[in-house]
Amino acid sequence: MQKAEMVGDNFRLGCRAQRHWGAAMAAAFFCGELGAGLFLVSMLCGVVPGMILGLLIKGIGKPFFHLTHMGVPGKSWRAILRPDRSWTSRGLIATIVFMGAGILHTINVMTAGAVPLGGLLPWLAGASALIVMTYQGFAMSQSSAVALWNTAMMPISSLLYGLTGGVVLTLPLAGGGLATQLSYLAMGLLLADLMMLLGLLYGAYHGAPGGKLSAELLIRTLYAKWFHGVVLAAGILLPFAALWLGGGAPTSQAVGAVGVLAGFFTFRVLIFKAGLFEPVMHFDI
Amino acid sequence: MTKWGMVFDLNRCIGCNACVVACKTENSLPEDVFFTRTFVTEVGSFPNVRRHYIPTLCNHCEDAPCEKACPSDATHTRDDGIVMVDQEKCIGCNACAVACPYDNRTQLTKAILQKSYFGEGNRQAFEADRDERWQTGTVAKCDFCSARVDRGLQPACVVSCPTEARIFGDRSDPDSKASKLIRRRNGRTPMPEKNTQPSVYYVD
Repeated sequence: MQKAEMVGDNFRLGCRAQRHWGAAMAAAFFCGELGAGLFLVSMLCGVVPGMILGLLIKGIGKPFFHLTHMGVPGKSWRAILRPDRSWTSRGLIATIVFMGAGILHTINVMTAGAVPLGGLLPWLAGASALIVMTYQGFAMSQSSAVALWNTAMMPISSLLYGLTGGVVLTLPLAGGGLATQLSYLAMGLLLADLMMLLGLLYGAYHGAPGGKLSAELLIRTLYAKWFHGVVLAAGILLPFAALWLGGGAPTSQAVGAVGVLAGFFTFRVLIFKAGLFEPVMHFDI
Repeated sequence: MTKWGMVFDLNRCIGCNACVVACKTENSLPEDVFFTRTFVTEVGSFPNVRRHYIPTLCNHCEDAPCEKACPSDATHTRDDGIVMVDQEKCIGCNACAVACPYDNRTQLTKAILQKSYFGEGNRQAFEADRDERWQTGTVAKCDFCSARVDRGLQPACVVSCPTEARIFGDRSDPDSKASKLIRRRNGRTPMPEKNTQPSVYYVD
């Protein structure tokens, strides 16, 4: 078998960079996961401003970037048609349920139970938020074309980063003892993020040839400085240290939130950029 | 029931790319958009080096990942096995493009479609057909020249091949040239580990 090598946009046999999903999709995924995560954490903590902010990020940011990416945005409604086979369709349905239930539940909380059947709403909003946070990871892991994505770590990364982002943004909005508990939760999630990243890279490196090249792009070559500097150092180590040493100070919470969001967004962009298609032919010739 | 398929004879392909040019002309394809490509690779080290040419196109998989990923019902498989993209239904989300293990799909953006081979305002006749054939923003790929096949003709890449390295035929007919080649010369599909059941085979 030939050793896999990365080739550009030419006719040589080798690994080709994924170019179909770019920065707009990365931003849409980021907004979807962050918005749903923030809403879910804020809902569980009873922090109404966090719920509203989560709905705004999810309801405005994600559709905006999706429509920017879409080739025929006027026909986007058609994306709902195949929930039987496509994660994109399932995600869109979950998004509609999430926005409806989320808005109604927020109104219900703010008006002290004025909405009929209000008891069902948090369950519906919470369940759909979980689907919204993870379906993008499932959509990516469904793609057998790109070895880096074709792993169960993708939906796990979506869930963990969504929750981490949600917790660090809820932190400054919550007060007292709740903030301390959220601080510990954020540190736990950051450790889980680190484990997830190591697992993702290990799996990719020891998998298909394209996956190994993708892992090398992230940790050794083209994107290494972004991955080490922003995703790992600024996105995990710095927030962890700030929350550990900051003692609940607003500055440490702000540093933690900015670091996590920067690392999260950079992770999303790099995962798209480092995704490689396998060589079209593996057998010996 | 007819099941169309194609066989590539790697011993016959000389890498002339006549198929690529014929495909681009037949489909009015813009610059940098290819429905078929002939990859090249060198094997061995000096002085014992051999060059191999590997033609590729959409594999029209029986278990097509692109069809599963398509949320808008635009990608569908005809009864004769040809995987099609309905331009009217495609929303240009590229979910199919990232799902295709063979990277055989391209989004036709406005910039790509407006570009001319011979400079702005100097479109040739075959380029003008592009506007009627393709819709801006949709995803496109090889359809085995379905319009030609429906008229009883062979795909453009097949008839243009000077060495008959491309053999198109009915895989459900055991007496077709394609079926015989697959059977006699141990035809292999690209990336069998992906379990997509391609309709395209390679023999060497």
